[in-house]
Amino acid sequence: MKIRIENLTKTYHVGSSKITAVNDVSFEVPENAFTAIIGRSGSGKSTLLNLIGLNDQPTSGKIFIDDKDAFELSSGERRKMRLNRMGFVFQAFNLLPTLNAVENVELPMSATGRSQKEQREEAVKLLEKVGLENRFFHRPKQLSLGEMQRVAIARALINRPETIIADEPTGELDSKTAKEIITLLSDINRKEKRTLVVATHDEKIFATADYVYTIEDGKLKPEDKSSLLE
Amino acid sequence: MGVALATAFVVAVGATTMRYTAVIREMNVLFNGQVLVVDKNSIVIQAIPIGTSMLPQSYTMDKIQNITGVEKLIPILFVTNITQGSNLELVPRNFSIGIPVENWEAVLGPTPLKGTAGHYPMNESGSEVAVGVSLADQYDWTVGTELTINGYGLSISGVLDTRLAVLSRSIVMPLQLAQKIYNHQKDVNMIAVKPAAGYSEKSLAEAIKQEVGYVNALTEDERFDMIQPVLIQVEMWNLGIEAIIFALSLILVMTVTIMSVSERRRDFATLDAVGIPLNYVFRVVILEASLIGIMGGALGVVFGSFGAVTLGSLYTNIPVGQFFSDVFTIVPPLYMAETFAAIVIVCCIGGVIPALNASRMRIAETMRAEY
Repeated sequence: MKIRIENLTKTYHVGSSKITAVNDVSFEVPENAFTAIIGRSGSGKSTLLNLIGLNDQPTSGKIFIDDKDAFELSSGERRKMRLNRMGFVFQAFNLLPTLNAVENVELPMSATGRSQKEQREEAVKLLEKVGLENRFFHRPKQLSLGEMQRVAIARALINRPETIIADEPTGELDSKTAKEIITLLSDINRKEKRTLVVATHDEKIFATADYVYTIEDGKLKPEDKSSLLE
Repeated sequence: MGVALATAFVVAVGATTMRYTAVIREMNVLFNGQVLVVDKNSIVIQAIPIGTSMLPQSYTMDKIQNITGVEKLIPILFVTNITQGSNLELVPRNFSIGIPVENWEAVLGPTPLKGTAGHYPMNESGSEVAVGVSLADQYDWTVGTELTINGYGLSISGVLDTRLAVLSRSIVMPLQLAQKIYNHQKDVNMIAVKPAAGYSEKSLAEAIKQEVGYVNALTEDERFDMIQPVLIQVEMWNLGIEAIIFALSLILVMTVTIMSVSERRRDFATLDAVGIPLNYVFRVVILEASLIGIMGGALGVVFGSFGAVTLGSLYTNIPVGQFFSDVFTIVPPLYMAETFAAIVIVCCIGGVIPALNASRMRIAETMRAEY
């Protein structure tokens, strides 16, 4: 899945003030690579990820998916793209509290018309893969933060997306658990050749990434990883 | 719980209203095709004369008998007992109907007697009476039971096996006996007149009114037309109350569902973010609203049926226990099903706006607001 953005700008109006969260950003998401976007809180990284993930509309500029302007597609087509070709991991996990782990994982697949049996088999397989073979029927509140994020990662993978977009996936986790989650995401990227875009300010993440970009006041620029780690 | 209470109210009040309008309507079957003659100062509600004025039996019957087109006359003394001690009650506790013994069938139709041992009272001056099944059940009366009314000892000769509310609460006795017990010797309060072949009820009623100046003669249609506007009005009021309650339920469900959606904004935004179709989100919210309707409706129908039975018992002084066996007569299953379906539909409609809100949630803004 080739994602290219051109002169992307996103502006919000908060009261009378105008905030430019993403300011004339152009870049191409490297395919099958691990890209980290780092920046302080409020720098615009979540907004940029929402735009890349087609969850938000840009004020100006374009997003091309496989060389097609994504915003020339209907909202239903963009939704289908999110469902089938992208996986999302959120900082606060965003699991549905009324569903157990396996049902949360099945959820995106339930919208694809696959049978209940297929959904269950795939969800179980993914939960085993992320190390939750004993937590299938636990509800989110019965899981630790790290386990919740593993469930969220399994949910992001269920429709076998080409791109995984993770917004601060370790933001709520302790350092040991964060490391495990990074390793898990990194393994998925390397072994399964999926494009991974992560917004973070966690040093451990960008140390693992193939490409690192910094974002400040909505401006994105590529960074030399070694210089950041010094 | 709000939906359950609303449904219970609709079932209880609606079924009670329906039951009583049905009871009033069914009374007319007692004097099918006959003209009822009462004193000019009295009225007839379906088949029951209301008023204290009496007609001199022999004199009035002689006058009517001479009118062309009269086939048969049946004098009747109809006594409603609407007091318990000194308290006036809303619905009569029971009725006493005095009919000449040779006219049982003409008035009561083919009403069977319960069991094989009973018979209709046979002697005009005897002390035998037949009682309605509801009275018999309430007081454990059977054939042979002795009872006393106004100091007169009576013996039950039969139990009327009928579903008609008036007859099931009646003590039917020979006319002379009724006149003696209720101190109306030689008086009746109603005369049923059967028109001869070729004569219409309407023309006969007109002739009776012309010939006998102190009476009012009412055809079956006139009796029906007299009460029909009142019944229609009662039913309209009932419909109005139901409509208001359903509208309140709609607002209640809408408010609850809007709050529920608003509390789960992040969940709906997440569904949207991962690409779940809008109609799935819409269906989830509608399903939740309909579940409120299903649970509230089911509870409400049960509570409402208890309510209707209790109301019936309060109105009629028939013990609640006796009413329970008749719960499906008081609240017909079709009415239960209709009310249940109506409340589920109302809840589904109440869920539409919240469902639209949930499915139109803008992901990025919702997520931003949630962090």
